[in-house]
Amino acid sequence: MSQVIITANNVGKKYSLKHLSGKSKDDMFFGSIKAKARGLFSKSSEEEEFWALKDVSFEINQGDRVAILGRNGAGKSTLLKILSRIVAPTTGRIEFDGRMAALLEVGTGFHGDLTGRENIFLNGSILGMTKSEIKSKFDEIVAFSEVEKFLDTPVKRYSSGMYVRLAFAVAAHLDPEILIVDEVLAVGDAAFQKKCLGKMKEVSGGGKTILFVSHNMAAVQNICDKSIYLKNGQLVDYGKTEDILPLYMRSSQATRLADLGNRPDRMGNGAIRFKSINIKDQSGTVVASAQCGSPLTIELEIDANPSFDLSYVRFSIGIDDDFGQRITHLSNDVTEQIFEKVKQGRSVVSFQIPELPLKRGDYTLTLFCAVNGDVADWIQEAAVINVEAGDFFKTGKLPEESQGNFYMKHSVTIY
Amino acid sequence: MKTVIDSGSTGRLSLSEIIRFKGLLWNLSMRDVLVRYKQTLIGVLWAVVRPAINIAIFVFFSMFIEGGSDLQERIVNVGAGIIIWGLISTSITDVSNSLLNNSNILTKVYFPKLIIPISTLAVCLIDFLISFFILLICKIAINGFPGPEFFLFPVFVLYAILFSFAVGLFFATLNVKYRDIKFTLPFLLQIGFYVCPVFLSSSFYLEKLPSSLAPIFMSNPLVTVIEGFKYCFLGQSFSVDMVYVLSGLCFTLLILIFSLRYFMKFEKTFADFI
Repeated sequence: MSQVIITANNVGKKYSLKHLSGKSKDDMFFGSIKAKARGLFSKSSEEEEFWALKDVSFEINQGDRVAILGRNGAGKSTLLKILSRIVAPTTGRIEFDGRMAALLEVGTGFHGDLTGRENIFLNGSILGMTKSEIKSKFDEIVAFSEVEKFLDTPVKRYSSGMYVRLAFAVAAHLDPEILIVDEVLAVGDAAFQKKCLGKMKEVSGGGKTILFVSHNMAAVQNICDKSIYLKNGQLVDYGKTEDILPLYMRSSQATRLADLGNRPDRMGNGAIRFKSINIKDQSGTVVASAQCGSPLTIELEIDANPSFDLSYVRFSIGIDDDFGQRITHLSNDVTEQIFEKVKQGRSVVSFQIPELPLKRGDYTLTLFCAVNGDVADWIQEAAVINVEAGDFFKTGKLPEESQGNFYMKHSVTIY
Repeated sequence: MKTVIDSGSTGRLSLSEIIRFKGLLWNLSMRDVLVRYKQTLIGVLWAVVRPAINIAIFVFFSMFIEGGSDLQERIVNVGAGIIIWGLISTSITDVSNSLLNNSNILTKVYFPKLIIPISTLAVCLIDFLISFFILLICKIAINGFPGPEFFLFPVFVLYAILFSFAVGLFFATLNVKYRDIKFTLPFLLQIGFYVCPVFLSSSFYLEKLPSSLAPIFMSNPLVTVIEGFKYCFLGQSFSVDMVYVLSGLCFTLLILIFSLRYFMKFEKTFADFI
């Protein structure tokens, strides 16, 4: 049986958040100077403690490929940074055996003015390779990166694709016992991503221990046999990926898919009020995040006021991206499914999307309802839903992140 | 190989760890050297042009202030002062900014952080050596080969680097948390330029200063460094009293120890604050 290679005991990381007092908030400049001046003489500045990571304990066996799952701010990156000794833990202790390499970023320490060749040596040594190791692997690295022709060109003249390929090529040829990878596969074009995934699998096949953070659930499923699930800095569960992944996907997130009943920032005459919003996957289970390429149901619970004439009812959902840009709009108006009459009291309006075409990210929903041509309820930014990357084209490939916001089914022929 | 990460452990200076990362030290130094004069028109000539212009200006001022008529000797005297001061001031500045300039690496990979300030010294030293050889050639052309005392110069160069590193390291650590350093340091260096015998001789300072201030002037370790370096070139007499040489050396070592301890104490938190 394999032996334990990493042991973490009660690992915690505390940060102090400094607050300006209420008075000085209105004056950013002089406020902060006053606060600083006060801070010089007294230690009673308003500090709030924040545990990015708390009491996390686990053991990882040699040869395990472990995914670290969790939402933004769950403490994944903090954990990786502590494991890779970039930041020190506030509490606890970690022990590990052998050489560890961390890839928290592609191309750490790359210098634009240096040539590809020079950067291979610089980056390799930053990642912990010795000069002779880099020399012996140099040809392999160059071949993998596909930038032979530009080896003596400063990398600032490279296209972003070439830059990333070269950077990943160096990293891929590290030979540590433990490899920590954070989200670096989310770069490059699809073909290169596939190559990287292949390399990761190859590495892990050789008995290497891998810790992997990614929002790409397909990659996690593909590579990792175990998963650690973090939430608000605490370890929720640790076990086989096939058991943890559904748990993570389903974890309810009450704060974001909020109760809408008490929202004061709404408009409309109140003939119908939105009460709550839920999203469900294909099996009808309430989920915290939607998956790209899978069926999705958005359910709005409504309350209809009997003192109104509840006819000709129209519902719509506006979907905005991170930048507040309206991506699309769903409504029973365009589908010609106008409700002639709605029963009084509680009902559930269900929007069904057969295959979600949105790329991964957070989306804000605006809810709208009109009765008889009058606005009944209108809540801007009613909820935020998180979309995870998924296998939209059923090919295991997706376009590069920077190539647009949504996916479109298509086929290509030549004749 | 077992590695332990313990929340309780405090930073300790580990030379073996630095030696283990010597490849990185070399590559970071090379990077700075390679990058220094990329995309400049006259490239490495800047290492000559800058001190040459400075020397010309301050030879003029020194003649003007101090009097005297031997222009040739004055050029060598002021030249040696300007060049060694150049090494000191660029080392202090570059070491002070080294952690900030490398924050992208600092927050992404582990290595002994002391490698960064050390690696910065390489480029300062190379700049210095270029101007050093030019000055040597000028000196030989002006009044012949220097005497045997010339071969003492590595001692004073090493001393200058040691002092600059010690001071720079303290500022580098402070710089992580307080960006005020970037406003203070140029100012301090400017003061330093005038309180050290860079373009004027220390005998001139001692003549003009009230005698009560003379010990204070002399106990500045940089007086030993600069006077010593000038002595290597001019070979007249080494005018610094042994008491001041020793006390300056002790003072420098104290700064170095203090800076190293301060650096080690905060090393673990650099990635949190930078």
